[in-house]
Amino acid sequence: MSYPPVPPQGSDINVTWAFLEQGIDQIMIRLEEGMTYKRYMDVYTVIYNYCTNSKGSQDSTPIQTRGASLGGRDLYLYLIRYFQKHLEGLRKECEQYMGVSLLEYYTKQWVKYTQASGFLHHLFMYLNRHWVRREIDEGRKQVNDVSTLTLTSWKECLFDHVQHNVMAAVLQLIERQRNGETVETSLLRNVVESFVALGVDETDPTKSTLDVYRVHFEQPFVSATEVYYKMESERFLSENSVTEYMKKAEARLAEEENRVQMYLHPSTHRPLIQTCENVLVRGHAEIIWEEFQNLLNQDKQEDLYRMFSLLLRIPDGLEPLRTRFETHVRKAGLSAIEKIADESVEVLDPKVYVDALLEVHKKYNDLVQSAFRGEAGFVAALDKACREFVNRNKICKTSTSKSPEQLARFCDSLLRKSAKNPEEGDLEEVLNSIMTVFKYVEDKDVFQKFYSKMLAKRLVNGTSASDDAEASMISKLKEACGFEYTSKLQRMFTDMGLSKELNDQFRERMAQNHDASDMGVDFSILVLGTASWPLQPPSTSFNLPDDLVKTYERFQKFYQDKHSGRKLNWLFHLSKADLRTNYAKASRVGYTFQVSTYQMGILLQYNNALSYTLEELQTQTNLNMEQLAGALGILVKAKVLLLENGGNVGEPRSRYELNTDFKSKKVRVNLNLPLKAEQKVETEETHKTIEEDRKLLMQAAIVRIMKTRKVMKHVNLMQEVITQLQSRFKPRVPDIKKCIDVLLEKEYIERVEGEKDLYSYVA
Amino acid sequence: MPITLLSLDDVQFKVDKEVAERSILIKNMIEDVGESDAPIPLPNVSSSVLKKVIEYCEHHRNDPVQTQDETDDPRKRSNDIEEWDMKFMMVDQEMLFEIILAANYLDIKPLLDVGCKTVANIIKGKTPEEIRKVFNIVNDFTPEEEAQIKKENEWAEDR
Repeated sequence: MSYPPVPPQGSDINVTWAFLEQGIDQIMIRLEEGMTYKRYMDVYTVIYNYCTNSKGSQDSTPIQTRGASLGGRDLYLYLIRYFQKHLEGLRKECEQYMGVSLLEYYTKQWVKYTQASGFLHHLFMYLNRHWVRREIDEGRKQVNDVSTLTLTSWKECLFDHVQHNVMAAVLQLIERQRNGETVETSLLRNVVESFVALGVDETDPTKSTLDVYRVHFEQPFVSATEVYYKMESERFLSENSVTEYMKKAEARLAEEENRVQMYLHPSTHRPLIQTCENVLVRGHAEIIWEEFQNLLNQDKQEDLYRMFSLLLRIPDGLEPLRTRFETHVRKAGLSAIEKIADESVEVLDPKVYVDALLEVHKKYNDLVQSAFRGEAGFVAALDKACREFVNRNKICKTSTSKSPEQLARFCDSLLRKSAKNPEEGDLEEVLNSIMTVFKYVEDKDVFQKFYSKMLAKRLVNGTSASDDAEASMISKLKEACGFEYTSKLQRMFTDMGLSKELNDQFRERMAQNHDASDMGVDFSILVLGTASWPLQPPSTSFNLPDDLVKTYERFQKFYQDKHSGRKLNWLFHLSKADLRTNYAKASRVGYTFQVSTYQMGILLQYNNALSYTLEELQTQTNLNMEQLAGALGILVKAKVLLLENGGNVGEPRSRYELNTDFKSKKVRVNLNLPLKAEQKVETEETHKTIEEDRKLLMQAAIVRIMKTRKVMKHVNLMQEVITQLQSRFKPRVPDIKKCIDVLLEKEYIERVEGEKDLYSYVA
Repeated sequence: MPITLLSLDDVQFKVDKEVAERSILIKNMIEDVGESDAPIPLPNVSSSVLKKVIEYCEHHRNDPVQTQDETDDPRKRSNDIEEWDMKFMMVDQEMLFEIILAANYLDIKPLLDVGCKTVANIIKGKTPEEIRKVFNIVNDFTPEEEAQIKKENEWAEDR
């Protein structure tokens, strides 16, 4: 290929441009043919020479300062004209095409043009570095470097005229892709690229904006998307189930995310996805919500998760689900309890009850974790529902204290020595699940009462299965309710430890002071602080048998020496003894009877005679009739004593004879059985003491609050009391009112004169 | 691959690519056109000047490439010329101007800066008369014009 000769230095613009135009043509039109170093350098040098030699001559406005020669205006103007002409040609071509062929032509030309643009920008670098830069520094906004000039020219001379058709073709192509056709996505990618590149910031050409892309591409694209999905979703829903629709919506959303990745500008992600969410999810939220109950009923976890993640995308999408979920769980809990309550409330096994509660909780907790990804709102709904059915169900009937009682009983059954109890590892798990229910219990004070009662019994009777398990449970309670809640429980363990030491000391002292023959009784004792132990004083007087009096007195003296001023109350009704027999003919070694202290008092009488009347026994033991009859009843039933002359146990003048023919398969015979009636009374009493304790707690809270606030309105005081006591139990408003009245009477507080509902603290 | 540079007077210089690419012009061209064995003609640079320019580029072959924006501030001071550059610039006045022109043509910004600073140092501390003498400039101001300019620039006088 031959080129015109390189114009000599100092040539005018016409000669120079004639040469340059050929070079530019080569780059713009035939770049694929390549360019030699020589040709490149020639073009560059001609531009350089023109700029450095045009000493102010052609520049009609000599803005340059003296000396420096910054010619270039003519070159720049010729370049603009060149681009205009070139692009007009392209525009005419474009007008012949539509649809995909337009996109093909447009993107092909765009790619070619941008390549050439980079080239020209470098070739005109000298112009850029000097004349253009100076113009920009002087504040002439319409002048840009060559690279920017190519873009603004493209936009003005081509883009503004054809973009409408281009966009129509783009939208058509995308719609075809949405309809499942395979399309040439590189076309779309190139179009997007050109729209983005054309966003030249008017105020600062070195920066780019997305204005062109946003206005001419994104907006029409997003509204076309909206129309498309509106139609599609409505049609689809009219022909398919909601679960099918959710699958469709999920797939469409994923598809659009992918579209952004494939060929859109990342900034479109937000408006596009938001629009899709709006049309696909928000637009059909009602019908989706309606489906929720069905899915719950059928336990369709996968669909539930799909529904959750779709509704998560829109504001307030989940709220109706949470409400429905809460109702559903509450109902499930109530009906589970109803089922077991049908059988028989009286003999309800606490394990069955707690298990029923746990099963419901576990089922829906799992659902929250898997289908709802542990979302806080659903966790709260679950908690709310559980709190409802744990505290108010058929078994609780009217009293919320039934649940904590059952729970405490279940704990007791687990912690008591028993062959049925789980292994240590499993036990920990069961205890943890108890804590799950405990969390929901409102009357935590009731639990505390029953728990400490039963713990006391386990410790006193030595029936606790494991110290570790006991400690573990207490630390769990402490974690849940604080130090104060468990301080008494902990104190009980301390007393147990101290008693052990005390026994050792006592035994040591006795060994020092007495012969072994002098100590016929193997004796041990628990000394327990009245404040920490929920133990009732004995309900009857009792004459200690002669055999024990010496030991009793020795210990009494020993203890008083050690702690003068302390008073020992002997709880014989909680004590027990082992008696060795040597009268029974049936056994050579003799039986060992495990008996209560009262039974021992009765049986030891038979060392002196073989038969006593009821009245004689009562005089000897000094027991009241109820206890005496109870103890005798068991002895008679076990055939240790025989009731003479027929009649019934406890009748006046009934006579009891020692059964020397007593037989038993076991060598150790346990006669220390609880009296049935006692148990029930105990439960009732516990509930009664709870009521009393609550009154005191409420009064204490009121005084505490009034002491700090001095003056307070009735409503606010109520509120404050409820908040303070909530962690223990839910105080009832009438109860608080009663307590206020009591305190008014006792003059801890008084009504402020002239004010209707204002109290003040009386110091 | 070495690159062949061809001076105005047809002398060939073989240099490493990274040395040649100190010139942004050459760097851009290789990027645009692609690499080839063909010599690169530099029709505005004579062999004596090109030799000097190559010497500079060899010495500075590993300098970090500066971006357009950092041309401000520190380089505007004329007293921070490296020792090597200072020695490099100890040439007669004609060569100094030739180097500056070549640096401008080839788009080697650091060399252009050093050249200009060197000229600035020559001017520094001299009266207009002395400057005219050094650079062989004829005074084409009228006395009125000269008085006016002196007045306008009074603030810059070194007193």
